[in-house]
Amino acid sequence: MSDKANDFKSLDLTVGDVFSKEARLKARNVNVYYGDKKAIDNVTIDIGNKEVISFIGPSGCGKSTFLRCFNRMNDTIDICRIEGQITLDNENIYDSNIDVVPLRARIGMVFQKPNPFPKSIYDNVAYGPRIHGLCENKEHLDSVVEESLKRAGLWDEVNDRLLSPGTGLSGGQQQRLCIARAIAVSPEVILMDEPCSALDPIATAKIEELIHELGNEYSIVIVTHSMQQAARVSKRTAYFHLGKLIEVGKTKEIFTRPQHNQTEAYISGKIG
Amino acid sequence: METKHILSSFDDDLNKLNNSLLKLGNGALDQFEKCINNFGTQNLEDIEKVVGADKFLDDLDDKVQKYGFEIIALRAPQAADLRRVIVALKIATIFERIGDYSRNISNRTKLLVEMKYTDLPGVNIGKMGQKTQTMLEDVLESYVNQDDKLAIKVRNSDVRIDKMHTQYYLEIVASMQRTKNLAPIGAHLLFIAKNIERVADYVTDIAEQVYFLVNGKVLSDVRPKADETSTRIPD
Repeated sequence: MSDKANDFKSLDLTVGDVFSKEARLKARNVNVYYGDKKAIDNVTIDIGNKEVISFIGPSGCGKSTFLRCFNRMNDTIDICRIEGQITLDNENIYDSNIDVVPLRARIGMVFQKPNPFPKSIYDNVAYGPRIHGLCENKEHLDSVVEESLKRAGLWDEVNDRLLSPGTGLSGGQQQRLCIARAIAVSPEVILMDEPCSALDPIATAKIEELIHELGNEYSIVIVTHSMQQAARVSKRTAYFHLGKLIEVGKTKEIFTRPQHNQTEAYISGKIG
Repeated sequence: METKHILSSFDDDLNKLNNSLLKLGNGALDQFEKCINNFGTQNLEDIEKVVGADKFLDDLDDKVQKYGFEIIALRAPQAADLRRVIVALKIATIFERIGDYSRNISNRTKLLVEMKYTDLPGVNIGKMGQKTQTMLEDVLESYVNQDDKLAIKVRNSDVRIDKMHTQYYLEIVASMQRTKNLAPIGAHLLFIAKNIERVADYVTDIAEQVYFLVNGKVLSDVRPKADETSTRIPD
């Protein structure tokens, strides 16, 4: 990746303040290609400390692709190529000496479809701390599992069946189990890719409440197709269109008086 | 934005809201125009028509409130759509109030006719009413065309009505002091002048809503005012 940290060409295009005073993640002039196709076009944005930010935009706009750049999930796609710079606390995450395994512990991810391991509820949460060697003994591990399940709002529902399969839980519970699994390794940032799209309104409300609470401790980036969800859970919102970051700003501004016509059209249901 | 929603029924709902609002706005303008004309012509039959037509505006206001409420509940409007609905709900109530004032002016005009009212020196209620009517016409135009410049012009013109109100208030009180038994007529004239001044205030409220509709923010500067009737003791 070339270092273009001081070249903010994308700001010619993006409306709103892309910078954050307390930035944890910084993306600078990021381009992403799938083969010859450019999926992300010169995007610059900061993710602030303990902020919840939503990425919105029509299908294929690149928001999920861009989200996956933050913990190098795109590395698993052979034809994917990334230019520009992304730093976590000013450390280039694409540097050749960066090990992606601990990186993905620092920047956790929750996916669209709940994907618990085919293991017990306990082992799902204990998996990360075990492989990263974060716990000294069984008692410590037990406390991490309990604490993570409590913070994910799931403890009261599963504490009497921790050895039951995680896959036996309801969809909403499975998604909270995945969130517990992500926070068990003490991440700094949590990426969520449409975390509620497979859930009913009650399960969605529980996840949204969880996002609200976790936002006091972590930086959270959430990709969502639900305008209302973005409005409900995030302080900042970024609108993507055709791989470009069109507008970013305070959520209450974006949903009441967006500056860019394309943002206005999208949130009003005028372009798909 | 002129572009249509993907969901055409959303556009249908917004159009229904807008059409009812415009009907209400034009109805309020019509009522006000007639009540000012009737003040001059003193035709009792025409005056009664204005009094009887007020229910029509009340019903239209109810419709706008119902449509707006349903759009918020069912469509979750955003940005300019949200502003359109909120502004419609606010100014519909204002138009309905203008209708109420028109009815009140008509009722008082009826009494003045029965009391054999003639013009008082220095008082031209018709002129004050016509200028307010022009403001109302202009603010309706600013809403239809989303013309925030015209809305600001309307808002700033309210100061002329304030000045006329202050002047007529002083003249009416002076006439009441000079002429025995003029108190009943003078009292009604004071109320009519005050009602017209309130209509002009309402028009400026609508103008500010138009500005918000277009720009997504409220006018930050203080509205110019010149009504001294509540702060000045007559000579």
